[in-house]
Amino acid sequence: MGSAASHSAGPPPPPPPPAYAAPPPPAFDAAAPPKPQEEAGKPAAEEKVDYMNLPCPVPYEEVQREAFMSLKAEVFEGMRLDYTKMLNQSFGLTHSVSMGAVEIPAQGSDVIKIPHGTYDFGANFLDPKLVLIGRLSQDGRVNARVKCDLTENLALKINAQMTSEPGYSQGMFNFDYKGKDYRSQFQVGNNEFFGANYIQSVTKHLSLGTEAFWVGQQRKSGVGLVARYDTKNFVATGQIATTGMVALSYVQKVSDKVSLASDFMYNQMSRDVTATFGYDYMLRQCRLRGKLDTNGVVSALLEERLAPGVTLLLSAEVDHWKKDYKFGYGVGIGE
Amino acid sequence: MASAAAEKGKALVDGSESAAERTARQAREWSTWAMKKAKVVAHYGFIPLVILIGMNSEPKPRLVQLLSLI
Repeated sequence: MGSAASHSAGPPPPPPPPAYAAPPPPAFDAAAPPKPQEEAGKPAAEEKVDYMNLPCPVPYEEVQREAFMSLKAEVFEGMRLDYTKMLNQSFGLTHSVSMGAVEIPAQGSDVIKIPHGTYDFGANFLDPKLVLIGRLSQDGRVNARVKCDLTENLALKINAQMTSEPGYSQGMFNFDYKGKDYRSQFQVGNNEFFGANYIQSVTKHLSLGTEAFWVGQQRKSGVGLVARYDTKNFVATGQIATTGMVALSYVQKVSDKVSLASDFMYNQMSRDVTATFGYDYMLRQCRLRGKLDTNGVVSALLEERLAPGVTLLLSAEVDHWKKDYKFGYGVGIGE
Repeated sequence: MASAAAEKGKALVDGSESAAERTARQAREWSTWAMKKAKVVAHYGFIPLVILIGMNSEPKPRLVQLLSLI
């Protein structure tokens, strides 16, 4: 997601409630324990920034998380049915049926769509220390995610997609270390992929990070830098990498229910420039996200809670440039 | 035949390998074999592993809950 190596990080997580970085409690002296509720009302002039007590930054791959929540909503085409059944508090099974179309890249600007139906079975185990998520699709592909807290500060994450065809499987092991005001991560993947990244809180609002990766089989390597400035009302991030990618994003929280996001991405290798503007309305019974692109794409996704446990999904994506129209509807049952 | 055998990567000019090269080649072959077996184990065993861990977590769900759709 936020990483310049652009290895896909598996299925995107379900939309969580918006989690802007809450302002960290000002530390008047290192001995006093932080009291966020009481000190939130104190005027800013009294705050003395204690540079030894900065908050822990967001993980490197989530640096642009607020922008992605608004702008990278999962639009889909066709019919979708998701059924989630929790057997106990931490273990659940999911069944997903989807009948839609898959696009085949074609010559010229025509789009060829092939009808495609899938059934996915999933098993999730969620524990505070161990998270196991597995998805099995009807063509035999298994998508596995493991997150395990080895110690309080060290976590291991495994993300793997396994197929029956030889040579198409991918796996990635991440070791995350969380320090007091920094995070570092080391990644090992197939095709001899090695990566490392590090992000540090520099001030109360600003965090800077860097990453490097090396792909053995293709002899490619790259270095990237990222900066994130977040306050209670807005989040601005910038990312640049030697793979020729520049990405900037800005998300403004207009109110509790509304946030607006914009994103600019420039890829020097493919000479691709894209700017996106989007909105995210988080209302009591529904969540509406939409975006508008400089590629001529307008899309929107509505998730409405009709009753406890029943969710209606409506999705639309209109690509005016390629004359490609995708509409989808779906129902989700279960939590 | 001899040239095909010599193309096994790191053979010396006269067609035989030194001891160090042989152990390196064997280590590479064994690790590739182990990775292939590990991938097959993970492919077939991950979902059953999650279900096993989940069915043994507290409070224990019943087997009929696993198979039914209610």
